[in-house]
Amino acid sequence: MAESKRKIQKELTRKHILDTAIKKFGHNGFVKTRTLDIATAANISHGSLFAHFPTMDDLMTSAIEEFGNRLCTRLHDEVSKKQSLPDILQAHLNGILDFEDFYTHLIIERRLLPESAKNTYIVIQSTISFHIGLAAEKEIQQGKIKNMPLHMLFNAWMGMIHYYLSNGDLFQQNGSIIKAYGPELLANYLLFIKST
Amino acid sequence: MIKCIACGMPMNAKEDFACGDITKNYCKFCMREDGSMQSYREKLNSMTEFIIKTQGIKEQPAREAAKSMMAKLPAWQNKIDDM
Repeated sequence: MAESKRKIQKELTRKHILDTAIKKFGHNGFVKTRTLDIATAANISHGSLFAHFPTMDDLMTSAIEEFGNRLCTRLHDEVSKKQSLPDILQAHLNGILDFEDFYTHLIIERRLLPESAKNTYIVIQSTISFHIGLAAEKEIQQGKIKNMPLHMLFNAWMGMIHYYLSNGDLFQQNGSIIKAYGPELLANYLLFIKST
Repeated sequence: MIKCIACGMPMNAKEDFACGDITKNYCKFCMREDGSMQSYREKLNSMTEFIIKTQGIKEQPAREAAKSMMAKLPAWQNKIDDM
């Protein structure tokens, strides 16, 4: 009983550290954030943080994994409901919106991250592409959208999103880029890929 | 939520499981034609191809990402990386 209580508490603390790390990385970026900043914001000792995440690399990688799990679970659920391609793309935008600051730092700083974090990023993007592909496949067969390779369908979509996010300061002084430009990006992307 | 031990995919519906068998702990994408689970080498190759197909990136970063992901999954915990 006590053992199981301890296990639950440990899991809760781990989740609390991860949620705090996601906020701090979203606020200060990956490179500038220190483990001490995260421990202080989470209101735990520096030692306790290291007991859960022995290195900053572990913490960064776990935070990216946590983001990826939440986003990919949302897409998986949408695809399971046999949603259309626009629905899946909208779910993708909504998933990014929940972590917009974090995700923006992730794409801007990706090359500076440890290998394990970079590898996690690659796997997340492939999972997203796969789910977009599942929805696109039906619409390609129905002749609704152009028959293009999956990686181009995905990279073109990501190219638009990442351009707006990484240059966000040029598009919007304050507030969410995804909220302000998401509908325009989605509508125009659908026009680009529409069968003529 | 049940996740495939070999690739981590969530398995909610019956058809997500290998052979549609909910007692299996691996998914339809990680099984061979005869229903058995793919080997480490087979899965690493198919995962690498999956990453290349979905993003169009080069083989080396795709393979490294596949190895890194598989290293965290229960099916491959005792696997010595010889590839």
